[in-house]
Amino acid sequence: MIKVGHLSKSFAGTTVLADISTEIKKGEVIAIIGPSGTGKSTFLRCLNLLEQPSGGTIEIDGMDILDKKADIAKIRQKMNMVFQSFNLFSHLSVLDNLTLAPIRLKGMSTQDAQAKALELLRLVGLAEKADSYPDELSGGQKQRVAIARCLAMEPEIILFDEPTSALDPTMISEVLSVIRRLAKDGMTMAIVTHEMDFAKDVSNRVLYMDEGLIYEEGSPAQIFDNPQKEKTKAFINRIRSYHCRIGSPDYDLYAMNAEIEAFCEKQVLPKKTRDNLLLLVEELLQIYTPYLPAMAFEMTIAYSEKSGHLTLMCESAGGPFNPLDSGGLPDDFGLMIIKKLTESITYQFVDGKNRLELLMQKGPKNSPHLE
Amino acid sequence: MDFKTKNEAGTLIVSVGGRLDTVTAPEYEKQIRALIDGGNSRFVVDFARLDYISSAGLRGLLVMAKLLNAKDGKVCFANVNGNVRSVFEMSGFNDLFKIENSVSEALATLA
Repeated sequence: MIKVGHLSKSFAGTTVLADISTEIKKGEVIAIIGPSGTGKSTFLRCLNLLEQPSGGTIEIDGMDILDKKADIAKIRQKMNMVFQSFNLFSHLSVLDNLTLAPIRLKGMSTQDAQAKALELLRLVGLAEKADSYPDELSGGQKQRVAIARCLAMEPEIILFDEPTSALDPTMISEVLSVIRRLAKDGMTMAIVTHEMDFAKDVSNRVLYMDEGLIYEEGSPAQIFDNPQKEKTKAFINRIRSYHCRIGSPDYDLYAMNAEIEAFCEKQVLPKKTRDNLLLLVEELLQIYTPYLPAMAFEMTIAYSEKSGHLTLMCESAGGPFNPLDSGGLPDDFGLMIIKKLTESITYQFVDGKNRLELLMQKGPKNSPHLE
Repeated sequence: MDFKTKNEAGTLIVSVGGRLDTVTAPEYEKQIRALIDGGNSRFVVDFARLDYISSAGLRGLLVMAKLLNAKDGKVCFANVNGNVRSVFEMSGFNDLFKIENSVSEALATLA
């Protein structure tokens, strides 16, 4: 239905879309997710030609819509858009908002357009508001009217640009349930959203956008339950991280502790968790210290808001070497403490790097939490 | 770390406060060595004011025990609570030393 090839878009020298290629098939519901500022909305606006792409191709049913001779008004009839800020005409009644375009652009009779509009308002649960004006409606009702207005043009695909981000939390579900119903009826849709649960259960394909690219794509199960790439994992698991490089045996333990404490405070981690983390970090540093500075290492503490897991990763270059198995430890005390503080410890040698990953104990039952 | 001593009937009570970690353990060892070299051979280490200990601190205590063993000395720990007790348990350290609930009980043990 829609085929996008190497689409790019720059604004005043800033690349927002670097290289986007994808295909949207009839009946598909595509959820487009990713951090703010990664070009999701720009991608939709390019599809609808609200933004002129800087390069690449967009074909709809085999027709190149970037061709100068392309009939943009017709393209927009096929592919209508719902905006986060509703964009209703405030001086027109709800009914007139719905009938304006069908009468003017499709040449529909007023009577037919009104009958169709009422049918659509019933679909979104707002038939009784036909004579109201947008200012008399709540945010959720305005967005449902905007969806009905979009449907009035009988589009083949609807593009939703963060349809719930301007709504109060109490109004989000009424709008999402209308979109869910459209999905159930087989409407082709591309939805930019920050509502992850909604994206997971409404879509049949998810595009994770980052760095101006479709960084990873797959089924909702693949993207939400088993993302493969680092940035997707971090986004899906809402991972916050602290990173530092230790290159000398004369590292400043107390400065590092202060930074880790600030990180823990920011994530509102309990004192017990913070104390355990500081102890784990010190024990690891002691194990690495004899190999410094020859084997500098990068340490990352990652906290997943979603799972509540704290993971500590140490990466160092050089040949395969697991410092926990090195046999160079003066005694077992440090290692015993590390093992008691962690649920799992994995060592891998990947891409020329030694990677030690320690998942911290979480639950109070098994955890020897410091008091 | 702060380090205070008090002599009670021939036994030296060492009260250690703050942190006993990679940074402070060498200083602890240094002070203990000086005390043992000075002829002290019976110690109670009071952990009531200690907030944090790592394996580096445990090693400092182990060095102390070894030095005392070599001189037929004795050491008993007191007030091993909270964070410090957790680390003792995690490392199995609590099985290696005499630990009493209070300084007076520790003194009685050494008597």
